[in-house]
Amino acid sequence: MSTDFKTPTAAARGLGSAKSGTEHHIRQRVSAIALALLVPWFLFAVIAASRSGFDGATAFFAQPWNAILMILTLGAAFYHMRLGMQVVVEDYLGKAGMKQGLLILNTFVCVGLFAATALSVLKIWITASV
Amino acid sequence: MVQLTLPKGSAPKKGKEWPKPEGAKNTRAFKVYRYSPEEGGNPRWDTYHVDMDRCGPMVLDVLIWIKNNVDPTLAFRRSCREGVCGSCSMNIGGQNSIACTKGWDEVAGRTITIAPLPHLPVVKDLIPDLTNFYAQHAYVQPFLKTDTPEPEKEWKQSEDQRNELNGLYECILCACCSTSCPSYWWNGDKYLGPAALLQAYRWLIDSRDEATGERLDDLEDPFKLYRCHTIMNCAQVCPKGLNPAKAIAKIKHMMVERVA
Repeated sequence: MSTDFKTPTAAARGLGSAKSGTEHHIRQRVSAIALALLVPWFLFAVIAASRSGFDGATAFFAQPWNAILMILTLGAAFYHMRLGMQVVVEDYLGKAGMKQGLLILNTFVCVGLFAATALSVLKIWITASV
Repeated sequence: MVQLTLPKGSAPKKGKEWPKPEGAKNTRAFKVYRYSPEEGGNPRWDTYHVDMDRCGPMVLDVLIWIKNNVDPTLAFRRSCREGVCGSCSMNIGGQNSIACTKGWDEVAGRTITIAPLPHLPVVKDLIPDLTNFYAQHAYVQPFLKTDTPEPEKEWKQSEDQRNELNGLYECILCACCSTSCPSYWWNGDKYLGPAALLQAYRWLIDSRDEATGERLDDLEDPFKLYRCHTIMNCAQVCPKGLNPAKAIAKIKHMMVERVA
């Protein structure tokens, strides 16, 4: 027998409206638009950079425009990934502690990956221009 | 929260195969979900053989034929038998629909399975518990809200303004859409679902309503509204041919318009 005596109205109202979510929605769309423009360039860049070996790749990212576009691509991709993974975690995990833990981990991993990859591009660019 | 398997006591087992009707030349098998809280035990799949020459064209006719001729204990909701009341919504051949407007000849395969609407508690046989669904409908306050004193005659609306309600007012709250939505399956306690959101938009876009801002406030929530991931099952199953996903997208548009 059920021991939950909460009324249906109380259950439907829950904790009430968070009055947020639109910002997340907009950010997800804007980063998607950025990626729609940057990913074709990224594919071109990967092919162009990998054709002529290690030296060719470093020479490619030594060009300022290529370095800038690469860092923008990484930023948009990891930001979009951070937002998307958040939705996946919220969708599939209801357990309070575990959910918040994974959401924090998600932010840390995405920021960490961006820092590591962006620094790599910067390093190539700085090394080449010295 | 996501739940990919049924709890032990809810998994349906093989049930009874009822005898074929005597003298019938044209029969078809119907595998029907049976559960009775009084009897206890797991739900089961009973198979009925229906004489299609003596049965009407709709799935509801089949259920009534079974109840009248084979098994009077079979429980299901039905009322108007013409797609207006939304009572006989169920899962037919793997797709949510209302039994009264779904022809059995539309369902492919030799055996047709009939189950209650998915991912809801079952009261008995094909009758799901829609308490939460109705409470979510009530949450969106589906009635005209105004502060202006009521006019002597009526609230006026132009033809164009009235046309905005087309494709929305026809909803019969059968719950086919909400219970076909994976997002509603996993987070139905927090996500309002396509039916309640379509109803919410019906009042948001009504030119006579004066509570648009408050309505948007009540909906702006990562779970109540933004769990819609445009999976589109809702639009695919709606027996009235409506598009709740489009209504939800329009609510999101209004939300964006408010801030940017």
